[in-house]
Amino acid sequence: MALPSHLKASPAPVAAGPARLPVYALVGNPNCGKTTLFNALTGLKQKVGNYPGVTVEKKVGTTFSQHGQPITVIDLPGTYSLAARSPDEAVTRDVLLGRRSDTPAPDRILCIVDATNLERNLYLVHQILDLGRPVILVLNMMDLAVKAGLNVRIARLERELGIPVIPCEAANNKGLIDLRLAMSRADLPLARHAWDIPAPIAPAVAELQACLTVSDHKSPLSARAEALLLLTDQDTVRVAGSTPLSTRTTDTLQAWQKRWAAEGTDWAASLVHARYDAIKRVTEEVVLKAGDAGPSASDRIDAFITHRVWGWVVLVGVMALLFISIFSLAEPPMNWIDDRTAALAGWVKSVMAAGDLRSLLTDGVIAGVGGVVKFLPQILILFFFVGLLESTGYMARAAFMMDGFMGRVGLNGKSFIPLLSSYACAIPGIMATRTIEAPRDRLVTILVAPLMSCSARLPVYLLMIAALLPGGKVSVFAKAGIMVGMYALGTLSAFGFAWLFKRTFLKGEAPPMMMELPPYQLPRIRDVALHMWERAWSFLRQAGTVILGVAIVLWFLSAYPKAPPGTPPTQELQHSYAGQAGHLLEPVIKPLGFDWQIGIGLISSFAAREVFVGTMGIVFSAESSDDNTEPLREAMGKARWPDGRLLFTPLVCINLMIFYVFAMQCMSTLAVVRQETASWKWPLFQTAYLTGTAWIVCFIVYQVGRAFGL
Amino acid sequence: MNQAPHCVTLALCQLPSGEVGRVREIVGDAQFCQRVREMGFGESTFVTKISGTGPFVVQVNRTRIALSHGAAKAILVEPLRR
Repeated sequence: MALPSHLKASPAPVAAGPARLPVYALVGNPNCGKTTLFNALTGLKQKVGNYPGVTVEKKVGTTFSQHGQPITVIDLPGTYSLAARSPDEAVTRDVLLGRRSDTPAPDRILCIVDATNLERNLYLVHQILDLGRPVILVLNMMDLAVKAGLNVRIARLERELGIPVIPCEAANNKGLIDLRLAMSRADLPLARHAWDIPAPIAPAVAELQACLTVSDHKSPLSARAEALLLLTDQDTVRVAGSTPLSTRTTDTLQAWQKRWAAEGTDWAASLVHARYDAIKRVTEEVVLKAGDAGPSASDRIDAFITHRVWGWVVLVGVMALLFISIFSLAEPPMNWIDDRTAALAGWVKSVMAAGDLRSLLTDGVIAGVGGVVKFLPQILILFFFVGLLESTGYMARAAFMMDGFMGRVGLNGKSFIPLLSSYACAIPGIMATRTIEAPRDRLVTILVAPLMSCSARLPVYLLMIAALLPGGKVSVFAKAGIMVGMYALGTLSAFGFAWLFKRTFLKGEAPPMMMELPPYQLPRIRDVALHMWERAWSFLRQAGTVILGVAIVLWFLSAYPKAPPGTPPTQELQHSYAGQAGHLLEPVIKPLGFDWQIGIGLISSFAAREVFVGTMGIVFSAESSDDNTEPLREAMGKARWPDGRLLFTPLVCINLMIFYVFAMQCMSTLAVVRQETASWKWPLFQTAYLTGTAWIVCFIVYQVGRAFGL
Repeated sequence: MNQAPHCVTLALCQLPSGEVGRVREIVGDAQFCQRVREMGFGESTFVTKISGTGPFVVQVNRTRIALSHGAAKAILVEPLRR
C-alpha cells in the first residue's frame, strides 16, 4: 500500500509510523458497546469471514480517516482478560500477540471501555498496554456514567495513562468525529505504563521473556507481555492456527510452574492483585463519585424480570412469541420462495429440451438449493429475535433463569441459547455454542442440539399427521397435540442425552456460571439488522454449498442407472442406485414397519429432512407440495406391502415421526459439527448415537404396537 | 489476604439479600479463581447481594453479575453491617 502524502510530511513520530496506513484492532470487555462502535465506525463496509481452522468469526471493516483514507479495523471477540477461556477469547489473545499467521499483529489498538465500570474494564487495558503498542482508549457509555453520578476526569486519565482518551456514546453516534481524528494521527504516543511486577516473580518473567525473544523471535515488549500471560494463565486454551511456542519456552515455563507449585504460592492471584492495585491508583484520581444515584431503571426492571414467579411468566411468554413468529410470520415468504423455485424450474423446463442436463438443473440444483433457501425466512426471524433479546440485555437474564434447570443435566445457562436456536435450525444453534467456555459442555451442547426439532422436520411431521388423521373430521387440537408431543420428545431426549454424556465420557463439572448482566437498553435496530444479515449470509454459505453438492450427488443416485425404455414412470426410481439402496435397506428397516419405498425416502433425506416429502412424491408419483399434501396422502393411503397389508398404518406414521425426531438426517449439520469440533470423530459419533437411538426406539414402538394389534 | 482473626466469613450464597459483604477468600479450581479475580471480584472487593435463591444476582463495582449456586458457594465473604 502506498504511503499517503500527509503521512510522509509528518514530523518524526513518537511511535515509528508504519510504512502503510495502520491496521487497528478493536478490543474490549463483553457488553461495553464494542459491536455498536464497530458498526458505527465501519457501517456496511464489513467483511465477515472465519479464522482458518477455528470457527471464530473474523470481522474486518473499513473506516475513513479525516482525509478520507481507508483505515482497516479488526473487531476482535470481547473478553475480560487476555487469559483466554473460550475459543473466541483465544483468538483475541493470539491476534494481539501476533501468534496467528493469517492475521498479522495489528499496528494499533482501540480499547473500548465502559465508563460506568472503569475499574474492571481497565484490567484488560492494563494487559494490553503491556504489549507496548500505540493504544487509543475509547470511554464509551459516558451518558450512563453521568446518570449513575460518576464524574470521569478525562484529561486526568489521559495524563495518568499517557494515551489519547476519547469520550464517546457509540449508541448515539457521539464522539465518533474525535475518535476518527485520533485514529488518523500519524503518530500516537506510547503509554506511560509503569507498574511493579511483584518482585518474587520478576526473575521468572525475565527468563521467560528472554526465551520468547530468542527462541520465538518476539519483540522484547511483546515477549514480556506474553511471559506475564503465560505465568498467570493456568490452562491456556489453544486453538488451531496459533503458532506453538518453542520447546525451550515451554520447558522454562514448566520448570517455574513446578517450582511454584512446590512452594505453594499462588502467583497468578498476586499478579491479578498487582494489576488491580495499579488500576485503583489511577481510578481513585480519575473517577469522582457525585453520590449514589439509588436503584437504576435496570435494577427496577430486574426485580420483575428475574423474579421467581414473574420471571418465568416473562420467559415463557417470550419463548412462545418467538415460536409463534417463527412458524407463522415465516409462512408467506416461505411459500413465496417455494413458488419462485417452482417457477424457475418451470422456466428451465420450458426453454431446455428434456434430458439429463435439464433434469440435473431442475431436480438437482434448483430443487436442492431452493429447499435450503426456503428456510431463510425462519432463520432471519429467529436471528431478529435473538438479536433483539441480546441487544436489550434480556438474553443474559434468560440464560440466568435457565441456569438452575440446565444445571440438573450438568450444563450451565450458557447452553440455553444454542439449544433455543436449534428449534429453527441446528446449524446456527451449533455455531452459537462458541461462547460456551468449558470445551466439554460445548461438545455436549453440540451433540444434543440436533434433537431439538428443527423447522426442516415440520414438513415431515405435517405429511405424517395428514396421513395419520385423514380428512377434516379430526380436530386441530389432535394434530397440534401430536406435533407438540414430537417437540417434547425431542427436547426431553436432548436433556436426557446431555445428562447421560455428562455422567459418562464427557464427565466434568460444569464450571460455576458467572455472567455479567448488562444494563437494559433500547434495542438498536441497526445492530440487530446487521447481526441478522451476517447470520443469514453465513447460513446460506455454509449450508448452501454443502446442500448444492449433496443435491447433485443425490440427483445422480436417483437418476442413474437408467431404467430400460418403456418402464412406467412410477417404477423408474426402482432401477436407480437410490432404489437399489432402498431394497438393500429393507431388511434393516422392516422391523420398524418401513418398506423399501420409505427406505428411499430415508436415504435421500439424509441430505436434509424435508427432502423426504419430495421423495415420497416421486416414489408414489403424486404431484404435491409441502403445504398441499392431499394428493400425496391419498397415494400413500393406497400403498401396500406385497402381501396386501396397508403400508401407512397409524402406527407406521407415528413411528416415522419418531424416527425423524431422533435420526441424524442432515448433511449440513454434520458438516458444521465437523468444522466446529475439528474432527470427524464427533459428527460420526453423533450420527451413530442419534440414528441408533432412532432405530431402537422405533423398533420398540413398532414391535410393542404390533403386539397390541395396532 | 489480611484477614482479621476474629472476622466471620460465610459463603456468598448464605449472605442475605440486600446485605453487603467483603470478599475474603475464593476457593475452587485455579481457572475459576483467576476469572473471578479478573472480573474485579477479587479479595477485599465489596459485593452487594441483590437477589436469588438458585442463581444469584450480585453487584460488584456497579456491574451486576449472575452467579450459579456453585460459584456463590466458592466465594467467601465477611458480612458488613450497613
